[in-house]
Amino acid sequence: MRSPFAYNPRSAPLQNASTGAAVAYLGSFAIVAFLYSSPLVLAAVAAGALLAGITAGAGRAAFAGLRMGLGLALLIVVVNALVVDRGETVLLRLGEAPLLGRVDVTAEAIAAGAVIGMRAAAVMVAFAVYSACVDPDRVLRALRPYAGRSALTAALISRLVPVAAADAARLREAGRLRGPAAEPLGRGALARRLLTGSLDRAVDVAATLELRGYGLGVRYEGDSRRTSRHDMRFILAGGALAAAAIAGRLLGADVFHAYPSLEIVAEPGTLVISATAVAAGLAPWRKGARGA
Amino acid sequence: MAVAIALLMALATAGCGIGVGAEIGPVSLTVTRDYGSEPVAPAVRDGARESDTVMRVLDRNATIETRYGGGFVESIDGLSEAVRDGRRYDWFFYVNGVESPVGAADFTLHGGEAIWWDYRDWSAAPRVPAVVGAWPQPFASGYEGEEHPTWVECEGGGGACSTARDRLLSAGATIRDEGSAIPVLVGPWARLRHDPAAALLEGGPQESGVFAEFATSNRGWELVGLGEDGDSARRFDAATGLVAATRRYDGPPVWLVTGATAGAVRSAAALLDSADLRDHYAVATEGGEEVPLPLR
Repeated sequence: MRSPFAYNPRSAPLQNASTGAAVAYLGSFAIVAFLYSSPLVLAAVAAGALLAGITAGAGRAAFAGLRMGLGLALLIVVVNALVVDRGETVLLRLGEAPLLGRVDVTAEAIAAGAVIGMRAAAVMVAFAVYSACVDPDRVLRALRPYAGRSALTAALISRLVPVAAADAARLREAGRLRGPAAEPLGRGALARRLLTGSLDRAVDVAATLELRGYGLGVRYEGDSRRTSRHDMRFILAGGALAAAAIAGRLLGADVFHAYPSLEIVAEPGTLVISATAVAAGLAPWRKGARGA
Repeated sequence: MAVAIALLMALATAGCGIGVGAEIGPVSLTVTRDYGSEPVAPAVRDGARESDTVMRVLDRNATIETRYGGGFVESIDGLSEAVRDGRRYDWFFYVNGVESPVGAADFTLHGGEAIWWDYRDWSAAPRVPAVVGAWPQPFASGYEGEEHPTWVECEGGGGACSTARDRLLSAGATIRDEGSAIPVLVGPWARLRHDPAAALLEGGPQESGVFAEFATSNRGWELVGLGEDGDSARRFDAATGLVAATRRYDGPPVWLVTGATAGAVRSAAALLDSADLRDHYAVATEGGEEVPLPLR
């Protein structure tokens, strides 16, 4: 079954936008998530990124990212609650534990862990939408003028890893087809066969690259042909969100302190940034389009 | 069922439970500035609970701001760490007169402790390992969570030694000579200066944390009081005694009851009470009056 995070080419504004515009737009959600600790803003960023995924037709990827993010957030909350014993409101005393020392579970440590978890979840949703909506080949092509070798290496990995996974699946299938009486195929044998095959393939790839003149150091002129009429809206949405977040941060719109006791203040600026983050999620919307 | 009950009992005996836990006794909290010269908040006595740390007691009784994940106190009642005229000011805390080796959020209380927060210029002495202002602590209930006996080391102190011993006994100290005992060195400086802990005074406040030193003159040793900047501020007369505390490495705090002459040592021993030492880093006595150190 195809991964929900795999790139899914569609004729939609976000998928058609240039790489720079799409990365700037989705990156602005991550920027806000890293700049703010206010739970309201982080929830709004996650909601905005989710909305962006739904309106771009990548709802499945966005929800899968959210599920993974929430799982990670739960883990962070539990670990933070056990490791950090700071905070005024003690909920549970678990005594002394090896390595951890005295373990006091406090409401503040749980809240601090929840904020870190919400941040991770919001960034994961934005990244899931990026993964499903932005063509990785175009990203690598855009990177080629600045880091040609790295782009080539990343491109090769993105091709060869799935090929190796397919090879492994085929070899396992072939092993099973030998019948129940045959000796089971061990992992070591499978790994050896895969390694041999991948080395053979690497030699083929190197020969092909040489024939195509990759070693000549020809300067690549960049991918200037890919711009879209949708670019401006994504640049404006992402730029407005990032600018509002930076301005709000400078003006003190992020009032959240976990320690020594919880302090959460929703200032007008906090509400404006939260609303901006949610509204920015509508940027990929196309009239008459159906979400996936 | 039996296993569950046994598990619950094991958890309860291991100090586990719901909420802040039972009361373990009162603790006192003092918040001052500039080496104890001015109170920032009224001193309070608070009932400590099993889960209490120095930070939790402070947070309950003052308005504080913290940094580094709640581990470092940035401000108390609006008085924040600062750099003024190139000098650095910060909050420091002492439990039973001893500087803590761990942060306030990690310092667990056992009941009976005297907590003292002081906001001070630390340019001259980044570390003041022990102070006298928590008297009768650390003699009454020890330091760093453990009780320790006290040992009066009489280095030619004469009658001052018995005065010191009496004052310590009436303060609740257990006088016993053993390795972990808190030493109280009583005697004239000419004798005490050979003790490795007392000799820290010769390295200045940076080494000893004591804002006083002894200088030689044609009449012998003279006590010199230092200012907050660590510079000499005043030479005292030969009858001036000194009560100070310091600490060498991780050893016990060492109290010094000394002076240039036998009379000075006697007047220093007479300072060993709560009224004269309270909220001071070290104290000199001049003409029967206490002079807090550093000098202002």
